[in-house]
Amino acid sequence: MSRHSNAVRLLAGAALVAVAACSDSTSPPSKEPVPVLQAAQSPDLATLARAVPGFGGLFLDHGVPTVYLTDASQRGKVERALGAFARGRGFAPSEIKVLAGRYAYGDLDRWFQQVSQEAFAQGGIVFVDLDEASNRVLVGVERGASHANVRSLAARLGVPAEAIVTHDVDPIQYAATLQDQVRPVVAGLQIHFGNFLCSIGFNAVSGGQNSFVTASHCTNTQGGVEGTQYFQSLSSQANSFIGTEVADPVYFRGGVCPRHRVCRYSDASRAAYAAGVSFTLGGIAQTSGPNNGSLTITGTFGVTSKGTAVVGDVVNKVGRTTGWTQGAVTNTCVNTGVSGTKIVQLCQTFVSAGVGGGDSGSDVFGLTGGTSVRLLGVLWGGNSGGTQFVYSPLNQVEQELGPLTVF
Amino acid sequence: MRNWGGAALCGAALLVPCIVTAAPQRPDSLSFTVVAPHSVRRGEPVPILLRLTNTGTRTLNLYLTGRTITFDIIVARSDGHVVWRRLEHVTSQQIVHVKTLAPAETFEMKDVWKATVEPGDYTLTGVIPTDGPPLRTTSITLRIPP
Repeated sequence: MSRHSNAVRLLAGAALVAVAACSDSTSPPSKEPVPVLQAAQSPDLATLARAVPGFGGLFLDHGVPTVYLTDASQRGKVERALGAFARGRGFAPSEIKVLAGRYAYGDLDRWFQQVSQEAFAQGGIVFVDLDEASNRVLVGVERGASHANVRSLAARLGVPAEAIVTHDVDPIQYAATLQDQVRPVVAGLQIHFGNFLCSIGFNAVSGGQNSFVTASHCTNTQGGVEGTQYFQSLSSQANSFIGTEVADPVYFRGGVCPRHRVCRYSDASRAAYAAGVSFTLGGIAQTSGPNNGSLTITGTFGVTSKGTAVVGDVVNKVGRTTGWTQGAVTNTCVNTGVSGTKIVQLCQTFVSAGVGGGDSGSDVFGLTGGTSVRLLGVLWGGNSGGTQFVYSPLNQVEQELGPLTVF
Repeated sequence: MRNWGGAALCGAALLVPCIVTAAPQRPDSLSFTVVAPHSVRRGEPVPILLRLTNTGTRTLNLYLTGRTITFDIIVARSDGHVVWRRLEHVTSQQIVHVKTLAPAETFEMKDVWKATVEPGDYTLTGVIPTDGPPLRTTSITLRIPP
């Protein structure tokens, strides 16, 4: 309701035209000049308050134009002032609903201005609103913050306690994407090193060390530890340094590795978080839905188990380029040559789902109910059409990086 | 490139004085062409060159893919049927490679295709994947005489 009322209040400053001659011909005659609205226009409430004594707010109640009045005898003026507005929304002026208001709009506006001026200095205040739908000043207080401070402030300002309503609300933040700087760090976010961009696979604790896992080729040198420094999401941002590569086994020759090639069982590496970097163990960024191209973060998946996939399983990934994609496992344990290299990744899993450059390192997981997921592995490759991705199964990642606590 | 780099890096003095992205819209100052012989005999190797040039006055940062930059070449018959595609059936690492091109700088990628196909006219097209829509050259014609 307050969103509606906000929208109405903020719209159309010059919506009223005080020309009595233009009054609707069906309206009762009036000797006073009464503001008249064009049907498509929204009213300026301050002007309306001057025209209708006791006016306390206008809003749509399930679509019905509704007005607060401290003096019910002013209904006729309301109908004249808002007749065109009501008709523009499919209602006769007589169908405008009038509610008993306690406070006049002018008083509420003055209190709104006073409280707004002072409240934000206290901290924990998310918003201050003259809420036309409740005939009160509404203060949004961040969950966990004190409401008593707001009441004290109101008393100090001489605002009646009953005129202030406080609600617990979530903080309002910019809509972040997978390519933005996000804290706490979760899987699926963009990371930057050197001249390259990848995605975070998952957070983990290894031997007591807070870490994240990404692809081995998302290090300065694929295979071997050279202390790659990672930034989230870009090194050009303040406070973007998040960690340093600490584990990335070298590629081996011989044995099961095809001749003239070098091999590993996973394209995975581990980086230790820098001191003070906040991260969520088990957290994977969630977007609005699979395969819709959105990169905007709308929530968080939570890892609750580890697992493996078989052909036909539907699995997911969240990465910085193509977001959340989902598809069926088409092949398992595939020895996979890597284009442009001598590398063969042994026993990898193919998935028929979208992928793009920059998704390397992404988490791969299965949905287990709600936002709970089973962690399956680390994405590293894809076909040229961007319709098939390849990942290293989690058991092989742990075989090479050591045991990982992931939730 | 979806907004993160262009505005965020421009003026940040991180890599270059100012950054413009190639994808999803190719800057007017970027030239991408494919170069190959007009005609070769059947069975001969065909050297194919992709040439990416910054023709503008500002440094460009291009969001390409692969540790070694990935590029594709598509050879098709005049009826559109593809007879060779460089990246067909290969698995590429899905990493973004931020490639900087100074004004007037050119970056070239080369490969060779063996023309073991029927005589006729063929089109050659170069493609470079990015983290958005790929860069594509205008196609050129290669003739394989009878």
